[in-house]
Amino acid sequence: MTAKTKLLSARQTVEATPMPRALQLLTILTLVGFCFTLVLGLFVAGTDIQQGEIQRIFYIHMPSFFGAFSAFGLTVVGGILYLWRKSEGWDRVALAGVEVGLAFALINLATGAIWARPIWNTWWTWDPRLTSAAIMALTYAAYLMLRAGIEDETRKRTFMSVYGIFAFTSVLVTLFIIRVVPETIHPVIVGASPQNAQGSFEATSGVVMALVPSMLLWLTLMPITLIWHRSRIERRLEAVNRLKMRILTE
Amino acid sequence: MMRSLLRLVSLISILIFASVVLAEDDQDTMPYIQSSAFNAPLLEGWENQSGDDFVQFHDAEAHATIRSALVEIGEPVAAAGSDLRRTFGIELGEPIYQDKVNLADGTWNVLVYEPDAVASASVMARRAGSQSVVISFVESDPEARILMLTIAQSGDARADAGTEIDLALSLLTSNNATDLVETTALSLPSGEWTGVVGDGFFAMGMVFGNDSYLALGEGDTENLPNLADAYNRTVLGFFVTPDNSAYLALALTASFAILALLILSFFWRSRNIQKDLELIESLNQTDN
Repeated sequence: MTAKTKLLSARQTVEATPMPRALQLLTILTLVGFCFTLVLGLFVAGTDIQQGEIQRIFYIHMPSFFGAFSAFGLTVVGGILYLWRKSEGWDRVALAGVEVGLAFALINLATGAIWARPIWNTWWTWDPRLTSAAIMALTYAAYLMLRAGIEDETRKRTFMSVYGIFAFTSVLVTLFIIRVVPETIHPVIVGASPQNAQGSFEATSGVVMALVPSMLLWLTLMPITLIWHRSRIERRLEAVNRLKMRILTE
Repeated sequence: MMRSLLRLVSLISILIFASVVLAEDDQDTMPYIQSSAFNAPLLEGWENQSGDDFVQFHDAEAHATIRSALVEIGEPVAAAGSDLRRTFGIELGEPIYQDKVNLADGTWNVLVYEPDAVASASVMARRAGSQSVVISFVESDPEARILMLTIAQSGDARADAGTEIDLALSLLTSNNATDLVETTALSLPSGEWTGVVGDGFFAMGMVFGNDSYLALGEGDTENLPNLADAYNRTVLGFFVTPDNSAYLALALTASFAILALLILSFFWRSRNIQKDLELIESLNQTDN
């Protein structure tokens, strides 16, 4: 095989393959669902008479956390399956899960801080829930930095799979900390809020109507669609890097 | 595999759109009346005379009206006078009691007027930007004299309003503490009250925070607990829905910006891959 033939063959891998129909469908459904849930939260759900308009951010704030939960959960699945089957595809899913999950976690932190300013009269407080959420985001930011710092591909994939599995404990801690540590001011919507919670509101039928579709969207369609797109890019990126290496070594 | 995924996606999509329909449409009973600018508790058993920009309840039997309004006058005392003149057609004159109390939502002027031999008006008013909030209790029962007022407790907060009841009685009635004959406890929706029955009068007091909420009655005071409870539920339950839509806009902007960055990074990376590929191709052609 000549160098030119090799290049042509490699190029076929790098060239963007047509988007699978399932991904096209997912992308359209995610976009429609995103607009639909946005309309529900911003225009259909009633205004909270005590908190005012800012309460509407709850329809993004809470679902974005569960979106991060779902994406980081896929990182765990990808990591386990990579360690088991040594398939690079699962490592790509794990990496994409971290990137998408981190974006969702940042949305969760940003919206929470902005909500807290008018309701708690502060942008940030070192409350157990807030602190654990910040640690969670930093843990996954560290994943990306560590990954970029390891040269050997196999070692990188193995190490990051293990890291991704253990990092999920930070997600579980963030999820359950307000059920375990009562000294929190963070409100709980499902179940009784902690005694010191500030900014609680009742889960009325109007709130549920806007929240449930948004939760389903952020928990399923959004992370799956974005992770799929990101994995495809990573596959092409790996192929072009291989091509570069091949040319450099020839 | 693909078929199962499509089935799952279809199910999730159906659930997303169906959950709106499935959500129960039982509107919870709102214990508040929302006017265009504020919220006030709904007083059951009272005739609701509220309009778009005011909340007003009337009890015909007790000849009493409780009103909350936002008045386009920045000076609270002047706003109270204007609102009562416009609504009830009464010229208030000089108040027989005037003081200020600091509550959680601002400094309120406490005013009591007796414009004529029959009517009395107990008012709380505070500034709200360039406007004023006025909560008033107006009664015109020829058989009774009923006054409502809030007094800040002096020194350490106490569990009962006895001191403030004595003070109010000495300031506003001809009675004083030595006339007291009986003290009772009253449990009302607004809180735990202490009732003081004397010769020809009935006074009630409730402590909330560092303030004492009082109701003084002379003559026929049968309705006093009901009136005191209704007025003070209005005073304590009144609140303005905060206008924080700028924070909502900021939070939405932050959310969209983060999502946009993520999606744009996908495009940038795809474009960079394409550029790399073109560069490799051009290098390869140069080599050949």
